[in-house]
Amino acid sequence: MKCEECQATIEDYIDEAFAVRTARDVSAHLSSCAACSRCHEEFKREQTIYASYQRDIEVTPALWASIEARLERQRAIKTATLFETLRERFAGVFGAPRLSPAFAAALVLVAIGVTALIMQYASSRGNNPVAQNGPTGTQVEPPPNKPGTVPELPKASSGPAVDQPTIAQVRKDPRRSPATGRPTPEQLVREAEQKYVQAIAILSRDVNQRRSKVDPAVLARFDAALSDIDRTIAETKQASRQNPGDPIALNYLLAAYSKKVDALRDMARD
Amino acid sequence: MVEAISLKGQASARAGILMNSAEELTARARSGDHEAFRSIFERYARPIISFIYDMVGRRDLAEELTQETFVRAYKNLGAMREETKISTWLFGIAKNVARESLRSRIREDHRVGIDDDRVVEMSDGKLPPDRELLDRELNGVIQDALGALDEDKRVVFTLKVFQQRSYEEIAEITGSSIPKLKTDLHRARAEMRRRIRPYLGVGYEV
Repeated sequence: MKCEECQATIEDYIDEAFAVRTARDVSAHLSSCAACSRCHEEFKREQTIYASYQRDIEVTPALWASIEARLERQRAIKTATLFETLRERFAGVFGAPRLSPAFAAALVLVAIGVTALIMQYASSRGNNPVAQNGPTGTQVEPPPNKPGTVPELPKASSGPAVDQPTIAQVRKDPRRSPATGRPTPEQLVREAEQKYVQAIAILSRDVNQRRSKVDPAVLARFDAALSDIDRTIAETKQASRQNPGDPIALNYLLAAYSKKVDALRDMARD
Repeated sequence: MVEAISLKGQASARAGILMNSAEELTARARSGDHEAFRSIFERYARPIISFIYDMVGRRDLAEELTQETFVRAYKNLGAMREETKISTWLFGIAKNVARESLRSRIREDHRVGIDDDRVVEMSDGKLPPDRELLDRELNGVIQDALGALDEDKRVVFTLKVFQQRSYEEIAEITGSSIPKLKTDLHRARAEMRRRIRPYLGVGYEV
């Protein structure tokens, strides 16, 4: 090895940042070259000086205490924010309809629309289905084939029209509009409910996976808020069963589902 | 080099947790174990505060920025890649925190010229009265010399020479290529050598 090569690699030699073979070559050169050896000694003295460098600074218990205080403050803010968000959502679900004239007006319009649809449906049930559904008066048009969106009707026990419901069957099935074959408002509500339930199941699974990472105080408040929403869902469900087709009850039911999805989604991605 | 520190008043029961591997502590801290995070702090606080102090040159600021480093680390533990070493990750945060601070402050008071009185005095060959005074003076010279390096050179010099990180780790911390790091380090060493040269032959023989 030549002196130029040795001096070019001497920093790496000090840092032990090259291959063993190169290190052996440098070492051999240093033992036989006085100039490079002096250069090497100077580097080593530098290293010694840097190793003795004392900083006027210490890690004190106060430093950790300050960090802990900041972390605690942040946890408190996070908890308060989550709680406030949930509280506002509750106020939105249960307070706003009573307090806000604009929301109340919108709710009345929705209720009128849904009621009109229900009345139209009820009216069509009251008319002679024979006149609307064909000259023979024995069969109705089958519903459009939309698997997964229209519930299946019970099949006839015998007879040639085994796949087609009779008039009596249509009259007994409140989920179907015999005039158009389109989903009824009640049916749409049930489908929406089904979708909310699916979304809630997926989000609940995600939230459960995160539970161990969430601050226990936050988790407790979240669970309490979720229980309140579940109670509301159960009550509105019961109300809608007792008063089938009541648009207000259905509206509250869907709003409660929506809030539960929002709350779970926030917790799952927080 | 990883240095374990011992804080005054630390309960002896905590000794066990300090013996855990860095990987284990990191995994536990990521899953929300507050004590594990505290152990990480105890293990890495000294190298981190030293690095920040070398970067900013002020004790009060170094303490404040160390706080900020660990608070950010805690908040972002979930985003840390599993294959990353906790020490490398912490130094990366510390580097960013120090840089942000440096860019928002004018630091002319930490820059000294080569004609600084202390250097001139030693250049005259006058020996200091005792070793302690020499050490104190040399510490000041090193600190000032560090402050005079540009940021890139200061980062690589501090991490390599004082913290003894590998080039691979420094590349991960800084995002620079290894050839650039070697070039910066070579230049940083040359600048530092120019300032500490008067001390090389005085009482520091190997």
